[in-house]
Amino acid sequence: MAHESHAATHAKTLPADLGAPAFVDGWTKRALTVGAIFSVVAVILALLGQSQDQLGWDHLLRAWVLGLMLTFGWSVGGLALLMVQYCTGGKWGLLFRRPLEAMSRSLPLVFVYWLVVVIAMKKLYLWAQYTSVSDTAAALQAGLINEVQQHCLDFKRPMLNPVTFTWVGLLCFAIWAFYVWRLNSLALQREADKAGNTPYWIKKLENISGPGIVVYSLTMTAAVIYWVMSMDPTWYSSVYGLLFLVGQGYSVLAFCIIVSISLSKAEPFKTILRQTEQHDMGKLTFAFVMLNIYLAFAQFLIIWSGNLPEEIPWYLDRIRGHWGIIITLDFIFHWLIPFSMLLSRDIKRNKRRLVRVCQWMIFAKAFDLFWLIEPNFKDAARNLHFSWGILEYVAVPVAMVSFWVAFFCTRLKTRPLVQVNDPHLAEILEPEHAQA
Amino acid sequence: MPPREGTYGLLAEFDNPSDLVRAARQAREDGWRRMDCYTPYPVEEAAEAIGFHRNKVPLVTLVGGLMGLTAMFALETWVSVLAYPLNIGGRPTYSWPAFIVPAYEWTILWAGLSACFGMLALNGLPALYHPLFNAPNFRDGATTDKFFLCLEALDPKFDLLEGRAYLESFQPTSVVEVEY
Repeated sequence: MAHESHAATHAKTLPADLGAPAFVDGWTKRALTVGAIFSVVAVILALLGQSQDQLGWDHLLRAWVLGLMLTFGWSVGGLALLMVQYCTGGKWGLLFRRPLEAMSRSLPLVFVYWLVVVIAMKKLYLWAQYTSVSDTAAALQAGLINEVQQHCLDFKRPMLNPVTFTWVGLLCFAIWAFYVWRLNSLALQREADKAGNTPYWIKKLENISGPGIVVYSLTMTAAVIYWVMSMDPTWYSSVYGLLFLVGQGYSVLAFCIIVSISLSKAEPFKTILRQTEQHDMGKLTFAFVMLNIYLAFAQFLIIWSGNLPEEIPWYLDRIRGHWGIIITLDFIFHWLIPFSMLLSRDIKRNKRRLVRVCQWMIFAKAFDLFWLIEPNFKDAARNLHFSWGILEYVAVPVAMVSFWVAFFCTRLKTRPLVQVNDPHLAEILEPEHAQA
Repeated sequence: MPPREGTYGLLAEFDNPSDLVRAARQAREDGWRRMDCYTPYPVEEAAEAIGFHRNKVPLVTLVGGLMGLTAMFALETWVSVLAYPLNIGGRPTYSWPAFIVPAYEWTILWAGLSACFGMLALNGLPALYHPLFNAPNFRDGATTDKFFLCLEALDPKFDLLEGRAYLESFQPTSVVEVEY
């Protein structure tokens, strides 16, 4: 067969060493340095903020939730994309599977981040501050909360109270940890097994991942409702979990593209990262950019159309008092810029430019979370104003993300970067014009 | 214009895309410009090999999409603000959030139609006649499992004998002369 012999002569071969390149250690060091510097900056800002408006430490904690949501999005969203990959199959799995596994194994750090929220919940959540009917009545008397808040706090207390918050969180982390452990250990067993058994492993991982995606959707919805949405106890939106789910896809894909393109400066990713798959990943990211604005706008349109007093204040808190500037910028940063950039085929096929777009998307995600989190609090709702504390939204997430990246890099080092027992390996080593 | 007569070009047949891409790349390097590749499925490297880097379909799609967006948004604004202003729940007549959805749908619709028909038009389709279908091996293989490179007679380097020898140096399955 002329074709096969030709394909064989043109195919690339994998390098002998499939481990992560040495410069990953450099990333760890750099991330730790940045993390340390920004931790110091965060503490200084908190002290400055404290002397300015007594809210320095509060702002540090609010920004902490932003950092938690970003790193949680990568860790658990990474787990979810890993499960999606096992269900869909495809060559992109060879590029993303090991980075995604490493992201999912960063869960312990996210758990530590979450514990800080548990300890400090009184400063973040009204329902943690006022835990009984008499508490809310007294707070209303003192003018600390309004009647709507009092009603909602009392009505929602079976769900929104410190004990339930902690137990739901622990349960969610236990479920995610189970899936992380299961998928990561089975992937190693698959590698150690004979190549002939690969179809069995593909089926097995698929059977775990399918239900896993459903479980993930439910648990992460519960988590974001407790961690972020309940900062405003008066408001609810049924699309909230889905918004964060799509947001996780958005930031996970951006992060994975950055990682695999950065790894492709050396073996083994130099050999397996082809332009075709890079282009495909750019297209998938584009789909998430679209879906993200679709859901965000759908929520806005429904609440705007309804114009009900239970729902509309949440948006008014985030539009009036100069917050309109932030939501406009959010629209531009979060959707318009990535959308316009990713429309271009040339950018999707250019390594350096695609990395720039993905970095921008991660920044935009953080910006969007700022808009979601900060107006929940009385001092900031309908009143965007500068204080030292606002700068915490830069310092704290940068520090937390840096420590998370450092942890991620150490996880990445623990395994070979390419799975050899994969039916797509032969295809990805072929020249790009070889398949339909 | 009188009907064209004579040779349209020389058609080389290959068994696999790698050989086609290699031949096309070499021909381009040797100064050939009027040539084309024909494959049963899109082979992007073949297009790149003959120096075909970009087409105008994305631009046509973008312009179509923007036209749809503007047309629908303007229509809605005109209807709601000027032609038939209604008080709907006390909202302003210019309620842009409500206009977004139809405007978005029209963007998609017009972008899709522009992409489809723009692609056909830029391809010169529908074409009732193409000389390459005179070659029996092209008729049988171009849509199934064969890969073709055609050096066209319009190229200034074209010469029937030298061109044939040149193509044969790539060891194709066959080289045939195609008449108009």
